Amino acid sequence: MSTTSAGLEFHDVTVAYGRRPVLWNVDLTVPGACLFGIIGPNGAGKSTLLKAALGLVPLAGGEVRILGAPLEQVRGRVGYVPQRESVDWDFPVTVTDVVLMGTYARLGWLRRPGPRERSLAAECLDRVGLADVADRQIGRLSGGQQQRVFLARALAQQADVYFLDEPMAGVDARSQERIFRVLSDLRAEGRLVVIVHHDLRSVAEWFDAVALIDMRLVATGPVAEVLTPENLRRTYAGRLDVLDEIGRAVAEGGRTP
Amino acid sequence: MILTVAEMSFPTGWIPPYNTLVVAAGVASVGFAAGVVGCFAVLRRRALAGDAAAHATLLGVGLAFLLGGGRRDLPLLLGGALSTAIAALLALVLIGRWTRTRDDAATAIVLGVSFGAGITLLSGISARGIPGSAGLEQFLLGHTAGLTAADAMILGALSLLTVALVALFLKESTLVAFDPLFAAASGWPVTLIDYALVVLVAVMVVVGLPAAGAVLVTALVVIPPVTARQWTDSVGVMLPLAGLFGLVAALSGVAVSSAVPRMPTGPLVVIAASILLTISLLIAPRRGGLARWLRSRRTVAAWAEGRLLEVALRLEAQGPFTREQLLAKAPGVAADSAFKRLVRSAAIEPVVTRAGTDAWRLAVWGRELAAERSRRLAAWTEVLEVAREDARGHLTIDVPSPEAILGAARMKAIRESAAAARSASGPG
Repeated sequence: MSTTSAGLEFHDVTVAYGRRPVLWNVDLTVPGACLFGIIGPNGAGKSTLLKAALGLVPLAGGEVRILGAPLEQVRGRVGYVPQRESVDWDFPVTVTDVVLMGTYARLGWLRRPGPRERSLAAECLDRVGLADVADRQIGRLSGGQQQRVFLARALAQQADVYFLDEPMAGVDARSQERIFRVLSDLRAEGRLVVIVHHDLRSVAEWFDAVALIDMRLVATGPVAEVLTPENLRRTYAGRLDVLDEIGRAVAEGGRTP
Repeated sequence: MILTVAEMSFPTGWIPPYNTLVVAAGVASVGFAAGVVGCFAVLRRRALAGDAAAHATLLGVGLAFLLGGGRRDLPLLLGGALSTAIAALLALVLIGRWTRTRDDAATAIVLGVSFGAGITLLSGISARGIPGSAGLEQFLLGHTAGLTAADAMILGALSLLTVALVALFLKESTLVAFDPLFAAASGWPVTLIDYALVVLVAVMVVVGLPAAGAVLVTALVVIPPVTARQWTDSVGVMLPLAGLFGLVAALSGVAVSSAVPRMPTGPLVVIAASILLTISLLIAPRRGGLARWLRSRRTVAAWAEGRLLEVALRLEAQGPFTREQLLAKAPGVAADSAFKRLVRSAAIEPVVTRAGTDAWRLAVWGRELAAERSRRLAAWTEVLEVAREDARGHLTIDVPSPEAILGAARMKAIRESAAAARSASGPG
């Protein structure tokens, strides 16, 4: 990867809930324009790391820089896909309504989305393959479709750095393929895509680089270098027996970016 | 119950028409605004916080009465009510932030403590017989008969103001109510918008006091939105609809109570609102209980009929079959009545025809139906194999035609990839 400035930097980031630390001195630099995975077991602090980058949890220490600047200066260039379970899908809004929310920050206070925003929303829905359910209430979608609605909303943010929190959770293979393809396109357009991910099998196929996290940063770098049996053991601390196998599979079949 | 000022000045209960009209208009706007603002209390799951705020208003009414030197001045009393309502909401926030008390417990505590304090204060005032204190109890259960035209105008104006604010910030409020995390990540001051919405709910609770009283005003804020949600899947429709339901509930409650002397309005308003709610819960299309029940019955019946046809087609290969034979091969709760329907339909377009006393065979039309059904089932099985999400998103128990739902082009692609998968895994 050839990049001039780093897309995302964590400098000694520590996050604590009360006195309990969730992330411990994470020092991590993610270059620009790549698919970057944050990988680790449940409760490792993956989502917290993402929320720390977005200013959604207070830092106990350290700092985060996005595109070389503090978050406040680049908020308009940041897109976000929260976990699917974080909202009530019975909420009375349509698919298009949700995608339009991606344009709200640019619109600012009081201004309503107009024809330009609507055509952008339609375009984003088309990109994720949901054009034909644009007017449906969001509860009447499958899990994979709901996840793609969130992705379309993030696309409508027209950001340069995207953060996705478990975008593949509860998503079938077809949606997963579609989502990964859209994310790869974003990378091809020169954007940075940071994904909290837990399925080790798809890592080698799609990601350029990863960070293994378990409260602290275990290892980071290109997929083939990082996903070694040794690193996985250190991350998952014996929580999975199949790790050696997966690590070998990654080492053999993984592509080197 | 203590007589209100108005009843004392108009012993016959007769109020000049002008006053009646103004009070009616005021109450109508209060009901409308309560429904509109309540939508966000319901969607943001703050209904209980609103109830705590409502119960805290009595304390403020009592304090304002004492501070005002015993004047029964409505704006003053409502100002007091608003300040303790907001204090209660602040207490909720502080308890949530600084202690480990859970939300529901915190709400119950704030509600209980503030209501207890309010009742104590009002009882104290009333026991001392402070002049002008008569009628303060109307804030407990609501009593609009005591409202003057000037009071009603103030209530109406405040209501319209809150509706205007909600309409103005509809985009921001909806965003924060739906997905606060996303809103915060894209730079919106979520806490500020959240607090503003809660304060609007508190204002509506206070403005609704004369109509519904501290104990029941939350119902006026919560029931109309829930009623409206039954009829629509869009926030833009839900808000005015909830307003309309609130308006109807408030007006009819007040109308009935004005016909019965000394009848508090709050319970009547709530009864009116809950009648609308009950009807909506039952008969609303799609979300209503009746629609859901009919839907589930229809799918079970459709499945049973389909199963019978499928089995009948197989049995028929050996000639006519009896009812026993058919039902034994296709058991199920709805099988018996499904068989009756198949026989009855023979009068219009024969599905099964009689071949003896208890001997049946499929008619031409029945054979076509059975063949079409097995074709569709086979097609959906292919969809399940190669495009699981399509099947999960669209397949229903009444086995619709996959071409009609997914489109012929998509089905063709699915068939091809299913065939490819078969030949890849097949022998050879």
